[in-house]
Order: sequence, then structure tokens, then C-alpha cells
Amino acid sequence: MDTNDQKSESGLGRRDLLKVLGGVAVANGLGASTWAALELLVPSATADTWHKSVCRYCGTGCGVLVGMRDGRVTDVRGDDLAHNKGVICVKGSMLRALPYVKGRLTTPKIRRDGRLVDATWDEAMSHVAQTFKDAIAAGGPDSVAFYGSGQLLTEESYTANKLFKAGIRTNNVDGNPRLCMGSAAAGYTQVYGKDEPPGSYEDIDYADCIFTIGANLFECHPPLFERVQQRRRASKGTRLIVVDPRRTRTAEHADIHLAPVPGTDLLLLNAMAQVICEEGLLDTSFIDKHVRFSDGQNTVDLAAFKAFLEKYKPEAVASELGIAAHQIREVAFLFARSRATTSLWTMGINQRTQGVFLNNMLNGLHLITGHIGRPGATPFSVTGQPNACGGVRDTGALGHLLPAGHVVANEGHRRKVEQLWGVEPGTISDKPGLDAVSLFRAMGDGRVKAALVMCTNPAQSLPAADRYRAAMEKCFLVVAEIVEDSETAQFADVLLPAALWIEKEGVTGQGERRYQLIEKLMDPPGQARSDLDILVDLADRLGHGALINARTPEDIWDEWRQFSVSSMYNFKGMTRARLEKERGLQWPCPSEDHPGTIRRYVAGDDPLVTTTGSAMEFYGQPDKKAVVFLRPYVPSPEHTTEEFPFYLTTGRVLEQWHTSTMTGRIEELARASGDAVIEINDQDAWKLQIAEGDSVEVRSRFGTLQGRARLASSPRRGVVFATFHDTKLLINRVVADHVDPVSKEPEFKVTAVSLRKAVA
Amino acid sequence: MDTATLVRVLGTVICLVGIVLCWHIGRTRFDGLSSEKLLSVANAHLSQSSFWKLSAFAGIVLVPLAAVGIANYHTFEGVQEVAACARCHVMRPMINDLRNPESNTLAARHYKNHWIVQNQCYDCHSDYGLAGNMEAKMEGFRHLARYTTRTYSEPIELRGRFNNDNCLKCHQDMPKFEVVKSHQSMKALLADSSTSCLNCHGQAHPTRAERTPGSADYAKLMEVVK
Repeated sequence: MDTNDQKSESGLGRRDLLKVLGGVAVANGLGASTWAALELLVPSATADTWHKSVCRYCGTGCGVLVGMRDGRVTDVRGDDLAHNKGVICVKGSMLRALPYVKGRLTTPKIRRDGRLVDATWDEAMSHVAQTFKDAIAAGGPDSVAFYGSGQLLTEESYTANKLFKAGIRTNNVDGNPRLCMGSAAAGYTQVYGKDEPPGSYEDIDYADCIFTIGANLFECHPPLFERVQQRRRASKGTRLIVVDPRRTRTAEHADIHLAPVPGTDLLLLNAMAQVICEEGLLDTSFIDKHVRFSDGQNTVDLAAFKAFLEKYKPEAVASELGIAAHQIREVAFLFARSRATTSLWTMGINQRTQGVFLNNMLNGLHLITGHIGRPGATPFSVTGQPNACGGVRDTGALGHLLPAGHVVANEGHRRKVEQLWGVEPGTISDKPGLDAVSLFRAMGDGRVKAALVMCTNPAQSLPAADRYRAAMEKCFLVVAEIVEDSETAQFADVLLPAALWIEKEGVTGQGERRYQLIEKLMDPPGQARSDLDILVDLADRLGHGALINARTPEDIWDEWRQFSVSSMYNFKGMTRARLEKERGLQWPCPSEDHPGTIRRYVAGDDPLVTTTGSAMEFYGQPDKKAVVFLRPYVPSPEHTTEEFPFYLTTGRVLEQWHTSTMTGRIEELARASGDAVIEINDQDAWKLQIAEGDSVEVRSRFGTLQGRARLASSPRRGVVFATFHDTKLLINRVVADHVDPVSKEPEFKVTAVSLRKAVA
Repeated sequence: MDTATLVRVLGTVICLVGIVLCWHIGRTRFDGLSSEKLLSVANAHLSQSSFWKLSAFAGIVLVPLAAVGIANYHTFEGVQEVAACARCHVMRPMINDLRNPESNTLAARHYKNHWIVQNQCYDCHSDYGLAGNMEAKMEGFRHLARYTTRTYSEPIELRGRFNNDNCLKCHQDMPKFEVVKSHQSMKALLADSSTSCLNCHGQAHPTRAERTPGSADYAKLMEVVK
């Protein structure tokens, strides 16, 4: 202690004070510099910049964040601000590898002497234009066609539709959505007068009963399944009912799993309706206000509906359906008596010769029990492709449709669309275009001579594939593709390199009427161009440049947005600027300050509901009432016989999407999914002396195929299952091509086959 | 009484003793102390000067050392508790959600099902080993600095990316994990966190949208933590 220092009364001197203050300053400085140092110690990140985007694969349409570094995609994660709340699946997690997959097509190619050789864009496109012109000159506009996909961006499908229907003057515009959503679209349209689901994914969060039929959400729509599970974890009483001939990974998690004989489930839906009527579970006040019954021709009353259902008593249908009567009664009760029931269905219902009837009846079950228009209560058809709803159903890019819910067959609709497109009255042909299956048949018999195929792989995805592969051989096929060696590319006369996902920009519309923007974040490889650029180029070369006046994604979106105003699809409020900022919007959305519509037809939510004092209004129908149809069960043409004693049904595997053109080239996914196998019920295998790994032959009326057997107890007895993603086991060669009489969607899910151990 | 409370009581007592000692030492003129005058403390006999020298040693060296030790223990152990995180109001949405039995976020499910028994925040947010502990604490210090200087904005976001090791340390090698083929084929990407577990397995906490002031859920999420 410094005794010479002058002490004050308190015993502390000025120097002491300075020392203390100095100490405090040093301590603060240390703290601040540590903080500064920590702020600079940024944890290792996987990307420099993050951009909101949308997953490339299924119809769930998950929002993703794309991480970029040095112009490359380095990471993709779920976007927690999007509707999927950050949840994506393993395919989405591997999106970062997608632009860089092996075998990307980088130059246009023209077939010369049977071989595809490199060409310039000009050579390829003049060849395409000339061949199209020649075909039109020789056989009229209907000798050319466009076959698109729910994977094209909205602006692309809209432009193709406009070019072919108002430019070339053929309605031969169809696409993969016919194979996927045709029955759902027709089903909704018949019931509500307008296509697209009334509810939203959000309804899963409030449902007390989730009725899943013909859908394997666990593998095909994993983020939706996660949402179902989250609901069940949070609300323990929530029931999950799964109807599927296979004990799928979804069914493994179900409270109740019903495994019907393939092709019979209209019996189940009708029997459930019968129980609901018999047990007094009808919501009669809802029916009185909002429902009309119809036998398909005439309006009938509730009594007629009940009388029609008499023959579908559970006890009467149980044996053909393959489900015990008491289980049907239990499920009907749970469906009707839950506080809120959401139904989720997809290809198992749509890809059927009774697909439209099944869709009608699923909506019907919700209407007679009043499970619609409330949080958690909705009939929801889940979509397979990312932009089938927005891009194709909404833009009307199918043979019988025109944009925004208008149809070719209606003259008033044609005049209206012609006016909106600024073309002469009578420009649009009154003849509905060919549906997918008919279109490829027409290629086979020479009626369609030239076709442009974009963003899809029909050589693998069509049923009875051999028949249509042969047809593709005969037609002048222009294929815009991302890879050199897809199944369809083999049949191309001109192969055009296409941009993919974030290599181009545009809007996609997923399964719940939500439009989301995909922005361009990188350049396509080599000379690849967006499908839109190809269409605009073709329009110019065919002399329809003036018709296609909007040529950029932004301008086309604006045109389409204005178009929608005069329809019940009104999404004028979804400006490009909003889509850039917001995480997608659900239509109707008539003005820029409108938040979008979660529940359609509901007063206070849907801006198109005009009647005051009514909670709901089905404004798509003239009498504003939804229709419940009396739909009789008709057995599938593919019922089993002695010669074909098994039912083949197809599906997907978690790690692969559609025909695996993209996912099959990503090592992590390919390794996880493995090669496709033929899954046989172990009891059947025992009887046929087939062991695990044996080579087996599957034969149907449509084709024969060999593959490796996997024995499992998951398919019910008498059912054989295979996934359709694997080109090495092209199961669609065997699958039947019967179509639904209304939707023209093929019955992929039911084919009678025989099975035997292949002779080595 | 648990260890943490015991340590805190002890720490408080020591600090008080230290303050009293320092006050006494400050008032004492050491050069006037007699070495002959004996003081009797308990059964020991000490000269007055030895007593004050020892007291000074205790006050200046021993007590501060003990205080630092205890403070460190308090800082390094106490901050692992959920209550420590709950002290900043921006963390309230996470804590409220964690303890909400109705919530189905990953955090809430791990909490309500007792998959993690204590220190739930720290358990998932500190990486493995000494380095992980160190990093978590440095991050905590950064949070503290940001919070006290109000240099943050809501909704707060995790900087960098969540380390998968925190999931894998429990889930890896479990049959339910190993049976998933995608886990096998993506092992390397999961191990180095270049693909987040959260991609497929959902929402860990209330979303940024819910935590944004003005959102419908905000008021409920910001309720005062009990």
C-alpha cells in the first residue's frame, strides 16, 4: 500500500479512483472485443446466399431454400416460412445434386439414318417447324399434337395451349396429368361445378379423422405424411384410417388398415354411405341447404339415394370387397362421427376405370356428413406432379379444356376464350382434343403425324407401354428433355436440350391451389433452353409470333392473371411482386390486398361467395348446391380369371420420383431405393414355389416381363406389387390401358396377371 | 437441495464474507498493529498483526478465488438450464412451446416424452465434447451481448446450421434409425451436417412466421414463462 498517497476521508485517493475506472474500462474492452471476435467467428455455413424456391418433384410443392456458392447449388433445405413449415423429404434434400446429374443433354440433336446427331438450334427448330407445317398441310391441324406435363411451368403450359389451340387450331393438347389427375379433376368438376380442391393442407392440422384411400403418403408425399403424424402426436385421439390393398408404410402407421381387393373400393365407399344413412349419421341440415342428389342424369331426392344404397349393405359387399362388414361399419362411424374428417386420396382412386365415380363418392361422403368447409373437414385429392394443378388443370392444357375452368365443348366458353386471346371467333376448334391414350393411339395409326413432347417421359409412364412405344416410332416426335437417354428420348426424331428447375423461371401451382414462384438462379448447361423459349421459337417459325405476344415468364404471368379475372379462378391479386416476396398464395385471390383463400366456398374466406347469411355456397353450380351422385359399382375389366389369377398394382418408392429420370441419377437416392422388384405375397409365393430373389415372369393381356421376386406379407393375398420408376423393370409394359369413360384416365392400379417362376 | 442451489448459496455466503472482510481490511491501518497483542480466535492464539495479515490474505486471495470458482461453476453449469435460456424474452416462444403439451414440435416432443430429462436446450444446442461445450458457451456469450445491447431483431434465427451430431448422438445405431435406407445411403451427408436431419423430421421450434411480432401466434408464444 502506498502510504505517501494523499488519503481522503473515505480512504480512497484520486489514483485509486483512476485505477478502478481503468480496470472497469479494461474489463469492458475485453468483453466487447470478445463479443466482436465471436461475431466474426461465423459458424461454417454450407452456402453464401439463400434463395426461396420450390421443390422440383411432387405435387406437395414444398417451399425450399436453395443455398448457392460461386454460382453452384451447395445446399437445399426446407423453408420454414412456406406452407410445409420447413419439412421436405429425402428427395428434396438431395435437390442440390439435381442440376449436375450425369447425362444432361446439352445440344439439340436430329435423327439422321437412325442415329441422333448433334445439330444447331436453328437446324433443329427449322426441321421441327417444317415437319409440323407439312403435317398440317397434309392432314389438317389435328395431325399435330402437344403432349406436356404437370412438370412444365405455368407460363409454358399456358403458352403451349394458346399456340396449339388458338394458333395451330388443334385441341390436341394433352399431357401426363391425364394419367394422374384426370379423374380427380372430373370428379371435382361434376360435384362442385369447378375443378380443384375446396380445402388445404392446413386441414390436416385440425382433423380428428384422417381417411386415406389409394394413397401412400409416407412414400409419395412424405411432408404431408409428416404433417398427418404431427397432428396425431399433438392430438392423440386423431384416427388414421388407411385403405390400400397393400400394407404400405403409410398403412403400418394407421389405426385401422383396410385392404380391399384391388378394383372394388367403390363398394366400400357406397357401403360406408349406406351405414351413414342407416345409422342416422347424415348431416341433414347441411344436406338441405347445400346438397343436391343426382343419378348422373336427373336430380333425385335423399330417399332415392338411400334406396340406391340398399344393395351396398356391408354384409352384402364384404366378400367381394374382401373387408369384414364390422370393419366397414366401424370406419363409416368414425368417418361420420369425428369432429372433423379429412380425406386424402391420390392415384389408387384416380387411376381407375371408375376413377370419376370414386372421386364423386369420396366428395359425396363429405357432403352427406357435412365434413366440408370447416377446419379439418375436407375432401382432398393429393396431386402427383408439381404443377399439374396450376400449370395444366388451371390453364386448361388438356384436350377437352380451355383456361380457367372453361371447356372446348361449350360454344360460349370458346367465344369467351377467343375474345380474351384476341383471336377471331371460330378460331378454336369445337372438337375436343385427343386424351393421352387416344393421342398415342393416333400416333400409331397415323392420324397424328408430328408431336411435341415436353417435360415428361411417356415411353415409360404410359400403360401397355409396348403398344405406345411402337406408336411413338411411327410419329415424328420432338422431345424436349433434360437428359440424353430417357426412355422417350430413344424415340425422338428431334431431341431438344431443356433447362430444369432453377435454370429457368416461372410459377408452379401445387395441390392446394397455391401458386409459388421459382426464380432463375443459374444458367442451364450447354445450349439448353427453357421449354418456354422453345415454344416461343416454334410459334415464330410457324407464323404465330403475333399471337404469342407475351414472351417472358413475367409478361405471360400478367396475361394469365388478367385472364383469370373473368373466371372463378380469379387470382388477379397474385402479382409477380407478391409472388417474389410471399411464400405462395392460394386462389381465389382477386386483389393485391387479399391474403388468398384457404377454404373455398366458405363465406368470409372465399371472396367469390356472394350470398349473405349462408355459411357456404357452392357457386360453381347453377343452383349453388354441390352434387352427391348415386354411383353404381362396376367391376373392373381387369378382374382375375383362371389364366390371370393375380392383381398387379403399381406404385412408388420413397426415394424415387415418377419415372426416376431425375432421382434415379442421384447416387444417394438410387442406393437407398435399390432396383425395382416384384413384390409377392409370401403365401402366394409358397404356393408357386417362388423364393426370395427368384426370377419371375409376370404376364398380362398386354405384355410380359421378368423381374426379381421379393416375398412380403404387405400385399394382400392375390396381389402383386411393383414400382414403376425403374427402367430395368418397366412394369408399365404389363399394365392394362383401359380408361375411365369420363376422365379417360387409364387404370394403372388394376391389371390381372399370371405369375410364375421364370425358366432360367 | 440439489447441487446447483447448494453452490449458489455457498457462492452467496462466500461473497458476503468477502465483502465484509474487504470492508474491515480497508478500515484497518496495518502499520499500527501490534505483534505482541494476542488475539484468541476459537482455540487458536494469534498476534493481532498475524490475524489481520491472514484476514487480508483471505480477503484478497482466497475469497476471490473461491468466488471466481463458484461463479465459473454457476456460469458454466447454470447456463445449461432451461431457466437460463428463458431469462431472455426473445427465447420465450421456444420455452413456451417446449413446455406446451399440445405442441408437436421436435422440442416439445422431446420434452413432454422425457426423451431428454434435463437441460433440454443445452442438450441439443451444445456440440459433442469440450470443444462443443466451449462453442455453445461462446455462442451464449454472444447472445448475452446482443440481448443486453438490444442489437437483435425478432424473429431470431439460428446462425449457421444445426449440427446433426446432436441428433445422431442418441438416434444413431438405434434400430428405428438404422432400418431407414435413406439414412444408410446418406450417412456421410448426415454425419457432416451437410444435409440437415430437420429437413425431413420437421419443425424444431415455432416457425419464424409464428415468432414474428404481429403474427396471430405471437402473443401466446410470448406469454411470461412461469
